[in-house]
Amino acid sequence: MNAGIDLQGSFIESLKDFGIPSGAAKAMWMPLPMFLMIIGATVGVLVIVWLERKISAAAQQRIGPEYAGPLGVLQAVADGLKLVFKEDIVPAKADRWLFTLGPILVVIPVFLSYLIVPFGQNLIITNVGLGIFLWIALSSIQPIGLLMSGYASNNKYSLLGGLRAAAQSISYEIPLALAVLAVVMMSNSLSTIDIVEQQSGYGILGWNIWRQPVGFLIFWIAALAECERLPFDLPEAEEELVAGYQTEYAGMKFGLFYIGSYVNLILSAILVAVLYLGGWEFPIPLDRLATWLGVSETSSWLQVITASLGITMTLLKAYFLLFIAVLLRWTVPRVRIDQLLNLGWKFLLPIGLVNLLLTAALKLTFPVAFGG
Amino acid sequence: MLKFLKQVGDYAKETAQAARYIGQGLSVTFDHMQRRPVTVQYPYEKLIPSERYRGRIHFEFDKCISCEVCVRVCPINLPVVDYEFDKASKKKNLKHYSIDFGVCIFCANCIEYCPTNCLSATEEYEMSTYDRHELNYDNVAMGRLPYKVTQDPMVTPLRELAYLPKGVTDPHDLPPGSRRAGLRPEEIVEQMEPAEAEKEEETAKNA
Repeated sequence: MNAGIDLQGSFIESLKDFGIPSGAAKAMWMPLPMFLMIIGATVGVLVIVWLERKISAAAQQRIGPEYAGPLGVLQAVADGLKLVFKEDIVPAKADRWLFTLGPILVVIPVFLSYLIVPFGQNLIITNVGLGIFLWIALSSIQPIGLLMSGYASNNKYSLLGGLRAAAQSISYEIPLALAVLAVVMMSNSLSTIDIVEQQSGYGILGWNIWRQPVGFLIFWIAALAECERLPFDLPEAEEELVAGYQTEYAGMKFGLFYIGSYVNLILSAILVAVLYLGGWEFPIPLDRLATWLGVSETSSWLQVITASLGITMTLLKAYFLLFIAVLLRWTVPRVRIDQLLNLGWKFLLPIGLVNLLLTAALKLTFPVAFGG
Repeated sequence: MLKFLKQVGDYAKETAQAARYIGQGLSVTFDHMQRRPVTVQYPYEKLIPSERYRGRIHFEFDKCISCEVCVRVCPINLPVVDYEFDKASKKKNLKHYSIDFGVCIFCANCIEYCPTNCLSATEEYEMSTYDRHELNYDNVAMGRLPYKVTQDPMVTPLRELAYLPKGVTDPHDLPPGSRRAGLRPEEIVEQMEPAEAEKEEETAKNA
């Protein structure tokens, strides 16, 4: 199979042609994907914030943001600018260092996790062998930041919110990891590229959702809980805890939490798409289509089309899941803390374990379908 | 063992039930997404208050006879009637009249009982101020008429639900000349007049 577009390779090659040593060429390449990742994630946040406001409005038969730009698309930019220019307040007797460190510790791992998000065979920042494991490891840094900011705020609501956030993140990481483990077992690799590769070849029929329907549900529920989305938004439950660990935050520190939560949401949606919905794969296997039509796999226009289709497909799948998340937000009431922990420990965890064992058994009995 | 299996079965059934309920809920919210917005884009659009709307109270100074009925029927004796008894003409001479609309509950009892109809309800409801004492209206302030929504060039007036044609729930983009369901008050009066005339004729015959 052809690898498709390799931007990094061609960039480094062309720089070498100018007589630049390969080490320097690689160093010159490095800031590009980093910059692209930050820009991409930020634009993604603006889009999802706008979408969330518009979809919420539609679900409640309102109009939503309308005056900032056409259809209110600039509303998120306006909100962001406002946060940038607001005064940065540290409450009295708060622990200044922890208070500042908290939001940073929440945001950075989320952005780092974009390293492993694949948009195509070579459209990934680093194809780390640990891949999805890196994401799980990074996402477990987050509760430390939340707890830190909750503790440092010198406010009981913040402390409660931080504790809840930590409890929630820790307990839902386990079912999340179990669901991922079943997928990993099927693809024999932790790398996100390999996971998508393993689903390719049969179009929509090859996607993991057909082989892992239970895992898909577990992962999605756990991902929503990790992102503190509405059925599980106890850490910031505004009726009880004002705003949870965010209560004392204002200006850009609050903005970091805000960005972090939305970037995390997009990341989770993309990862669901990658793990269960075939990542960048088109519902119809494209390379087979190309062979039928008699188009060479190496022709450059086909590669450009496949690459752009790959990016569009990943984003489409992710935004479909985000749409469901927003719709779910206006459908399901918030669960209580005991219900939340019951769901995590007494329901998702055993089912995740059974799912894992079942996958292992099926892998042994049907190695063709479940990745031998 | 059998009991355990039954427990597992019940639990699975409950889970499926819960999932079905969530699905039902999702379908409801999804259905709502396709409906038109019901909101009024205040301050660019405003609803036309109904003719029986009890807004800020209007006061006509010259009609008032300072009888203080409004004070007596007010649940909290709110209107302040400042008058002087003129011994020569044996009449009360009204000097000031005021109602504090920060305290008024707009029950319109004063309007109902005023013997000279010097009190009336307007359709004004936008009375926010920076200081609550600004809501204490004197007779001059109460004598002002509010700006009509239908005459404001900045505002698109929208009809309330009861004033829309039959089966229509959206006040936006109504065809011109569309009228509300049922008869208008003047038409009801017109219908009643011939009937009353007949009745009068009958009474005249009997007498």
